[in-house]
Amino acid sequence: MKIKLTWRIWLLIILVFFSLLSVIGFPPAFTQKGVVVTGVDSSSPAFDQGLREGQIIVSIDGNKIKNPSDFFEAFQNKFDSNESVRTDILTKNSELIILSNESLQITVSEISNSNLKFGLDLIGGARALVQAEGKKLTDVEAGELVDTTQTRLNEFGISDITVRQVSDLSGNNFMLIEAAGASPSDLKDLISQQGKFEAKIGNDTVFVGGEKDISSVCRDSTCSGIEKCSEVEGGWACNFQFSIFLTPEAAQRHADITKNIPSETTPQGRYLTLLLDLYLDDNLVDSLRIGEGLKGRVETQIAISGGASGVTRNEAITAAEEDMHKLQTILVTGSLPFKLEVVKLDSISPTLGSDFIRAIIVAGLLALIGASIVVFVRYRSIKSSLALVLTSFSEIIIILGIASLIGWNLDLPSIAGILATIGTGFDDQIVILDESIREKFLSLRQRLKRAFAIIMGAYFTALVSMLPLLWAGAGLLKGFAFTTIIGITAGVFITRPAFSDFVRMIEGD
Amino acid sequence: MTENRTNIKNKVSKFHDKYYKHLLLIPLLLLVFCGIYLVSFNSSHGDFIYKDITLTGGTSITIFEQVDLIDLTNSISEQLDGVIIREVSDLVTGKQKAITIETTSDLDSAKEVLESYLGHKLDEKNSSFEFTGSALSQDFFRQLLIAILLAFIFMALVVFLIFRSVVPSFAIVLSAFADIIMTLTVFNILGIQLSTAGIVAFLMLIGYSVDTDILLTNRVLKRHEGSLNSKIYSAFKTGITMNLTSFVAILLALLIVGPLSHTLSIIFIVLAIGLLFDLLNTWITNVSILKWYVIRKENKNEN
Repeated sequence: MKIKLTWRIWLLIILVFFSLLSVIGFPPAFTQKGVVVTGVDSSSPAFDQGLREGQIIVSIDGNKIKNPSDFFEAFQNKFDSNESVRTDILTKNSELIILSNESLQITVSEISNSNLKFGLDLIGGARALVQAEGKKLTDVEAGELVDTTQTRLNEFGISDITVRQVSDLSGNNFMLIEAAGASPSDLKDLISQQGKFEAKIGNDTVFVGGEKDISSVCRDSTCSGIEKCSEVEGGWACNFQFSIFLTPEAAQRHADITKNIPSETTPQGRYLTLLLDLYLDDNLVDSLRIGEGLKGRVETQIAISGGASGVTRNEAITAAEEDMHKLQTILVTGSLPFKLEVVKLDSISPTLGSDFIRAIIVAGLLALIGASIVVFVRYRSIKSSLALVLTSFSEIIIILGIASLIGWNLDLPSIAGILATIGTGFDDQIVILDESIREKFLSLRQRLKRAFAIIMGAYFTALVSMLPLLWAGAGLLKGFAFTTIIGITAGVFITRPAFSDFVRMIEGD
Repeated sequence: MTENRTNIKNKVSKFHDKYYKHLLLIPLLLLVFCGIYLVSFNSSHGDFIYKDITLTGGTSITIFEQVDLIDLTNSISEQLDGVIIREVSDLVTGKQKAITIETTSDLDSAKEVLESYLGHKLDEKNSSFEFTGSALSQDFFRQLLIAILLAFIFMALVVFLIFRSVVPSFAIVLSAFADIIMTLTVFNILGIQLSTAGIVAFLMLIGYSVDTDILLTNRVLKRHEGSLNSKIYSAFKTGITMNLTSFVAILLALLIVGPLSHTLSIIFIVLAIGLLFDLLNTWITNVSILKWYVIRKENKNEN
């Protein structure tokens, strides 16, 4: 039998081909060696040399890097001596030579072997949905909140995170924050903190966080760092200190307020009788003594300090550094005009992720096979049930192709949508098969036309019933509607017509 | 053999001609029962379904280690509210892989209680957690109900546009409605809690349930060859194959993914039960109403 493919079948083949290409990438991702950079701290010398997120590291110091553990091994004990050491990093497109005496602050992960992106609920990660406390956010406010949070996270050195504004059917606005993979454990504090910083002397506010009062915050080691650590009851306490520069207006305010404060003698020297109290979200962080020399002077550079404690000395240092980092971030970005409430917080461990994806693939395949067996038993035609499986399979590939093309995150609802599509796909193809073998007095073309009348009806009902879901529940379930709509649309306009041509070929019309 | 078959067909056909209106009583009575059950359930429970924490608000924590379920239940259920503990098990070996603890308490207190029971900290490596605030989840619930209602109305509009006659369209909408109500009732009787995903599954059910109804109505109203019964019978043969393939596919998927994901198993259970009721509602509810309608119309035309 000479097989002549119709244009509909060609269209399907071409579409499946491009979908596959879109999923596996060109050149195929699985042929690539190395690790992909997921984050570089902006203070890292590697950042200065041009290393960025998304680049692929192939070798370090001449040793091939095949996976993240090779990467960690390459840096193990490298910076123990505190002296500058040289690191040669070969990426896919460039060669970097880096001299540094401390960790390069690069995070990497394995190159995924496809362009498919999976949702947090499958591969692990964290997600937070944030609202203003006791207040409905307007569109503009939510947008500003997203911007400020984005800057804050960037300032804090977290790059592998997305912040978006989402809204729902009732017109509520939310900020949605998503971090793939392992997430910083203090994410919740960082995002839910209003960050209202105030420096007060007595009841007078001298300056607040943000660019209106603070022109810059020093973050390098010359004017910021851990000052001293001491043993206290039950562990260690460390103090940090860093300089900030006030705007002229804020400095003038400082001078006006301190002008009339009397000074006193202490064992450490002469200081003003009132302290400079630092408040973060209305909690007292630290109180600083003001040297007599500063009284009434327009001084723009001010030292900010605070402290933290831990069980061991190292813990205390880490805690103090973290607190300092947070405080610096807040001073730079300023405060938010309202208190925030984390209304949903999910943190999914990657532990079960791969098991889960494997189980879903197995389930999908088994469902396909099971359904094709039913079809075989019913119609006694291997060709038909094979065509059916192939068509459904190509439908899945098209959905995945479109998903990876537009960078859609395949989360659990999306997967459920794909499964739903396979189901309706089967239903439609059975209608086609069935019509094609019935009422032989009509031409096959007429019979297939009848089949499509039914299929289009089913398509439109399914389509309209999915639409509300795109907005309900802050969009957290829209993956379901999305994959279903893509699947059934591709089905009705591409795979089903091709399938009916297959059937025609088999029937020999 | 063929003669025998034709014989049976004729008998069934005659039986159906005589009793199709009586048959309608079965789904109608069932629907009335389900309606009364749901209303009384609503007044005694304050809600017409059992909601899980994704709809009431609360915390779910999954811990990736072997834990004695009974001991854990005894130790923590006093300290946390509305505790439900589930096992996540390996498909092949059936061994416990993880446990999921659901509680209506908030995240911090749930974490604290579990950490003190386990004697170690919970971090993003050894555990997963999901927390939904109660105001948000109630909002989600309300919106999902609106989504289903809208979906239902849209579906009804499309059905009406396709067939452009009231009674057949009404029959389709009614049988989709009955599918939903009957499945909900089974969930309540079995005491299964519904999640957001579970409610979405009802949305899926609308699509599946309407498929066979459209097939039936299309064959009966838009074809001119063959008797009414033969049209219904041919639709029945196709429709049963459709339902059966979907059912087999869903059952297999449930078997594989069920032990790993509670979310997906709830979706599949809704669909599986819904498809069973769809058999009843398509091939009795919808068929009877449609047949009644067609026969009345024919009689009118003859007069």
